[in-house]
Amino acid sequence: MSLLTTENTTQSGRNVLAALVTVGALILQVAVFNRLPLPGQVTPDLVLLTVVALALLNGEMVGAVTGFCAGLAADIIPPADHTIGRYALVYCLIGYASGLLSDSMDRSSTVPFVAVAAGALFGTLLYAAVGMLLGDPRATGAVIARIVPVQVLYDVLASPFVIWVVMRLTRRAERAKSPRRRDLAVPGYRSRARERAL
Amino acid sequence: MKDTRRSRAVLGILLITALAMITIDYRGGDNSPLRGLRGVGATVFGPIEHVAASVVRPVGNFVEAIADAPGQRSRGDRLERENQKLRAQLQSGQLDKGRSAQLQQLLGTAGLGGYKIVAAEVISAGQGFEDTVTIDVGSSSGVKADMTVITGDGLVGRVTRVGPSSATVLLVTDAAATVGARLEASQEIGVVQGKGRRGLGSGTSTPLRFQLLDANAPMKVGERLVTLGSQGDRPYVPGVPIGSVVKIEQTPGSLTRTAYVKPFVHFTSLDVVGVVVAPPKTDPHDAVLPPVPSLMPGS
Repeated sequence: MSLLTTENTTQSGRNVLAALVTVGALILQVAVFNRLPLPGQVTPDLVLLTVVALALLNGEMVGAVTGFCAGLAADIIPPADHTIGRYALVYCLIGYASGLLSDSMDRSSTVPFVAVAAGALFGTLLYAAVGMLLGDPRATGAVIARIVPVQVLYDVLASPFVIWVVMRLTRRAERAKSPRRRDLAVPGYRSRARERAL
Repeated sequence: MKDTRRSRAVLGILLITALAMITIDYRGGDNSPLRGLRGVGATVFGPIEHVAASVVRPVGNFVEAIADAPGQRSRGDRLERENQKLRAQLQSGQLDKGRSAQLQQLLGTAGLGGYKIVAAEVISAGQGFEDTVTIDVGSSSGVKADMTVITGDGLVGRVTRVGPSSATVLLVTDAAATVGARLEASQEIGVVQGKGRRGLGSGTSTPLRFQLLDANAPMKVGERLVTLGSQGDRPYVPGVPIGSVVKIEQTPGSLTRTAYVKPFVHFTSLDVVGVVVAPPKTDPHDAVLPPVPSLMPGS
């Protein structure tokens, strides 16, 4: 998908928006969600959901970069206490993989859920695997076996809300930036418009 | 797709960067060259978490009360739930009053043990497999790494990292945490180990395990544990109540004996905590334990 020249003005705005949404998700995650005593003692991973949503909207390039940056932020935000780079690695891969699915968003409405479920499953497993390689005492088989199913379930349950919010914010920002963009027949926009109808 | 190659190259670079960071940070350990990044994280995100926590605290209390409700079926649980609801109502109505009561208790505990404390509030909690929290005091309040963190009920954990206005606390329930402990009466010593995210790793609901070093020493269900105190009182000061023994594992022939320990502190609803900035002049021994033995709540 080649970028039109008129899109360059909105490109930086979109990047700023992606950064803001990601930081917001991260803060919400540590300050609110991680403190909720939900059954199973697991909380939905908002940062992962945000990365998947942004990647599905903007493609694999944005997905990989957003994933890396969000992961790095998740690695250094207090009270994170693990080796720096673990979430950066995991979210970067998930962002890229979800971005590859962005073209099929037009064809099926289940794509976001599949992406979120796969992302949650492989993300948790990969994060745990890296921890095991590094000798992290927390990443034991028993803990992983109990966390993974609940984590996938919670992430899928929370995904419609997060994806809806991210899409809404993106659309609003684009409309505010260039009101005439509604008239442009940009392929990506059409898919977003259809998503809205869902 | 024209930019497939480009995005693949970017992905490759990012993955290599991430792997390099993992390697560098892992090799460096506590003196990792990347610890500056964590400092940046604490400086940037600390104040934001501060604000976020103060905004969402009333909401959180409400949601907590609701989230606690399902899954509690038996009569005792229902009563407890009602109790909790009432308590939650009270909390949302008289939030500050509740907090001041917690503070009072904390001060009482600190007074009993002779600890000098700095009061703090929990503003965020860790993700993934970590049992860590951020508190709203940092180096500007005199908090340093390896200080003990307590509540009015007992031991919470220790400070691992300090930012200007926030600090990271490793909870005792974390799988990476180990505390020297002593049985209240018999003075027998052992090691308390966290079992990971709220006891997920242990297969039971108790998030702590206690290993008695002398396998032949007497140990009873209901006995209580206090911290032994680390060398130089860091990271753990002596005499802080940890929890009570709920089950003893019988493994004949082993060198140590293991017990399941229920902590005194409710880790799912941590709010007001205290950082011990100056250890007691003398070991308080069992003075901080409540006078009457508790009646084993919840079992």
